[in-house]
Amino acid sequence: MTSPIISLKNVSLTLESKAGPVEILSGTDLSVSGGQAVGIVGPSGSGKTTMLMVIAGLEPVSSGQVDVVGAEFSSLGEDELARIRGEHIGIVFQSFHLVPTMTALENVALPLEFSGVNGAREIARGCLDDVGLSHRMGHFPAELSGGEQQRVAIARAIAPGPKLLLADEPTGNLDVSTGAQIIDLMFELRARNGLSLVLVTHDEGLAEKCDRVIHMQDGRIVKDQNLLIEAVS
Amino acid sequence: MAGQGMSPGKIVGLAWRDLKGGLGGFTVFVACVALGVSVISGVGALTDALGAGFRAQGQILLGGDITLTRSHQAARGHELGWLRKQGAVSTSAALRGMGRLGDGSNQVMVEIKAVDTAYPLYGALEVEGSKDFGDLIQENGAAVVDPILIERLGVKLGDTIKIGNSNIKLAGIIKREPDRLGGRFIFGPRVLFSHQTFDATGLNKPGSLIRWTYQVKLNEEQAGDDDVAGFEDHLEKGLPEAGFSLRDRRNPTPAIKRAIDRFSQFLTLVGLTALLVGGVGIANAVTTFVEKKRKTIATFKSLGAGSRFVFMVFLLEVLMVTGLGVVIGLIVGALLPIGLNAMFGGQFPVAIELGVSIKSLMTGAAYGFLVSLVFILWPLGAARNVNATVLFRDEVGADKTWPGWDAVGATVLSIFALAGFAILTAQSVRLAVYFVIGSMILFAVFFALGIFASWLAGALPKPSKPELKLALANLAGPGALTRSVVVSLGSGLTLLVAVALVDHSIVRDLEASVPKKAPSYFILDIDKSDIGSLEKTVLRVAPGVIFSQAPMLRGRIVKIDGKSPDDMKIPSRSKWVLSGDRGLTYSDSVPEGSKVVAGKWWAKDYDGEPLVSFEAEIARDFGLKVGDSVTVNVLGRDITAKIANLRELEWESLAINFVMTFSPNTLRGAPHNLLATIKLADAQDLKLEARLVQNLVSAFPGVTAIRVRDAIDAFAKIFTKVMTAIRAAGLITLFAGALVLAGALATAQRRRIYQSVVLKTLGATRLRIIAVHFWEYFLLASITALLAVILGTIGAYIVVTKIIDVEFSFAISAVFGALALSSLLVILFGTIGTWRVLNVRAMPYLRTE
Repeated sequence: MTSPIISLKNVSLTLESKAGPVEILSGTDLSVSGGQAVGIVGPSGSGKTTMLMVIAGLEPVSSGQVDVVGAEFSSLGEDELARIRGEHIGIVFQSFHLVPTMTALENVALPLEFSGVNGAREIARGCLDDVGLSHRMGHFPAELSGGEQQRVAIARAIAPGPKLLLADEPTGNLDVSTGAQIIDLMFELRARNGLSLVLVTHDEGLAEKCDRVIHMQDGRIVKDQNLLIEAVS
Repeated sequence: MAGQGMSPGKIVGLAWRDLKGGLGGFTVFVACVALGVSVISGVGALTDALGAGFRAQGQILLGGDITLTRSHQAARGHELGWLRKQGAVSTSAALRGMGRLGDGSNQVMVEIKAVDTAYPLYGALEVEGSKDFGDLIQENGAAVVDPILIERLGVKLGDTIKIGNSNIKLAGIIKREPDRLGGRFIFGPRVLFSHQTFDATGLNKPGSLIRWTYQVKLNEEQAGDDDVAGFEDHLEKGLPEAGFSLRDRRNPTPAIKRAIDRFSQFLTLVGLTALLVGGVGIANAVTTFVEKKRKTIATFKSLGAGSRFVFMVFLLEVLMVTGLGVVIGLIVGALLPIGLNAMFGGQFPVAIELGVSIKSLMTGAAYGFLVSLVFILWPLGAARNVNATVLFRDEVGADKTWPGWDAVGATVLSIFALAGFAILTAQSVRLAVYFVIGSMILFAVFFALGIFASWLAGALPKPSKPELKLALANLAGPGALTRSVVVSLGSGLTLLVAVALVDHSIVRDLEASVPKKAPSYFILDIDKSDIGSLEKTVLRVAPGVIFSQAPMLRGRIVKIDGKSPDDMKIPSRSKWVLSGDRGLTYSDSVPEGSKVVAGKWWAKDYDGEPLVSFEAEIARDFGLKVGDSVTVNVLGRDITAKIANLRELEWESLAINFVMTFSPNTLRGAPHNLLATIKLADAQDLKLEARLVQNLVSAFPGVTAIRVRDAIDAFAKIFTKVMTAIRAAGLITLFAGALVLAGALATAQRRRIYQSVVLKTLGATRLRIIAVHFWEYFLLASITALLAVILGTIGAYIVVTKIIDVEFSFAISAVFGALALSSLLVILFGTIGTWRVLNVRAMPYLRTE
């Protein structure tokens, strides 16, 4: 059996607030194997996005063990985590989070340049071509529609050739038809590149496109559905 | 429309309630207003306190209610009789001479003052050891002196030195001479003795450059302010043609008062510049405030409020914040004279009279509100356009909107009101007009350059280094700091660069160019009968020197082409010619270094009506042309001469230059001495110089040798002090720029944090993020410094070559100074921000609310 690409063991995260400590994640365990697509659903405040940030190495945990793409996060510093993200993890956000002062091409080339990859711009061009934006490469984010911005964000996420793609409500800021196109694109690219995918969404229908759906509530995983097995059975 | 009908009271109430929510984004706003207002009101209060000090001590500083002065000629019997009818009179005689050791081994130029027993009519002359100076100088041949004389000649109290033909005993050391400020500028040590001792020196003889002063303590019944004010007419009737220069207790030191007034005006304009620079910070703060209030505005509108209502509420809020800045500024301004007096009171020319200066407080407050209005109306006008739909959609960045013609009109009106106020309250309208025009041009130029720099950053080819690419993109992109920083920091730096280059050019000219052209010594008070042997002595001791001589008298212009100068409007640059006595000479040929530019020189044997050759530039300012007349009072007699020609002079050569050179027949008969200049072949040969002066002073005890190098050094020292003060004042503007910079960086902080979080998600290490910030700040500082150097150099070049008229010289240190200051400020404030950026949690910035 291959080792999982994501392994969370007894992970808890407590943050201080004005009203006192708030437990965001409590004793969470999760294991995702390579190539698997996992949807995370749950009500607002259930800890979905926080769990995604923990997997991305952007939020340190209070206790427990986090292993992602073969690295144990608690032993790594901020810069090592950044390098791992740059090389192995692509992230897509609801609000796109493109650098507003850079063109679509520059945005996509940026993580490659950070990793010191030669021919970053050529690779970025190819990725933009893959998402159907070869005609918008020189445009700034403000000159692009919401759907186009999200395509740029997806191209940027896959450009370094990551093993893992994380997506936080990627269609949340898009209309239904554009959202559907984006999801199709993401799943197509995931299949083409053999990526693992973790998709946070409110939309259970969207989550069901994944191999597996995890239901969260109050910082805990309350249900773990393996849709492939259910489909086979 | 609901809201439109709300009473002013309700609008005020709403504005107050909204403001109570916090002043968080207004720190820089308040600081900018407070800084400018404190400088303006503080300078005004200090000037008023100094002015009150001068007025309160006017009689002491002047030595009387009235003083009259005249050169060469003491008051004649009937003149003295008339003066004594006006009140108690004290007579003093002042001239420069040489104090030397008995063996002739050392000498120093001294400022001699001979006084009578009535001196001083007001105040007291204090000598060390609590002795009575009157008793000390009563002894024949005794003097009280400045301590510096003892030090320079290496003597001690009780020793004897030689002045003129006499041995003078050093009987006491002057601690305080009450009317020293009221006299003419002195640059040698004072030697004060009785008239009897003076007569014994042999220096009191016809033609000597003696300045006779009559201090009058007016009789009680005619000592009122009206009497003092009307004394000039009274004198004109009582002693017509006496030719006295008159001063009174209301303004005992016109030159110092003029200098203080000018410096005060300069500092007020510096304060206004600081306010204008701070205006950029004010505008930034209001724009940020409006951004933050978009949802509040939209809520007001969704509840039925109209645009006008929204505008009024937020205008009131911002004016309340301005009021807070003004109040803080006024408190600091009012305390400034007290603080400065406590720290530097001993260095003020007079003891200041502290008081509440309502005028300066009002001026500071008015400037604070006017500048604020200039900068807040535009962004507040735009705020009205925020639509209620903001509540229903989440926008990514808001487009700037046109503020409307009424807000633009109100902004323009505020600019005019500010310019009008600056001009109306200025002592020199011309300077204020120049300032207004200059600052408008400077702001427009910096604004345009800011836009250009921002555009250039975007247009440059993209570098391969991602940090540099991001830095350039940040400089070019929306919300970039470029414009704010270039305008705010750039103007302060430009001022400093310009001051540094003007300073450098003038000091270089004084130290290098002037001494090359100027003579080494001026020799004053040479008796006509001695001139031949004096020249021989000079050439014997120092062969190869250039020796020039000219007759010299002193006289005062009393009429310009038949009109009193008091009734004429003379440009301030030429007023010095009319203030008191001027040197006069006569010559049968065009003096060396002069060029006749209009009219003709007289024949060598000319013997007709009195003729005069006048300096061309001053003649133009006086409205004089060839054929007009000038009346001068020499030795208490009026002489009217026709202008035969106009000359151009090279003043900076420091050669023997006179504004007026008469035909010989006009003045030859009057008792007078000669003036000579000596230019040594080798200015560095100090031993030869010392031997020459020793020989001259021993052989001709009545002459005074003034070393030009010492005079230049004395001037350079004063000049450097003035420039240091101007630089310090310039720093106020830079400080305002730094405040704006801090505010702009704080505003951009959220964007920066967001960007660094996004970069972290893409794999950027902290070092990379620091590198992005470093490049951005470094480029920003370099662009600003470069623009400041270019504009500062242009400004300095114009001032140096067109106004001061000396050779411009560039100093690379000014470039490095500007770059260093700019980098220091930008990187200092930037680093604080970067430190915070590196330590934030990513999640709050990445998740969508």
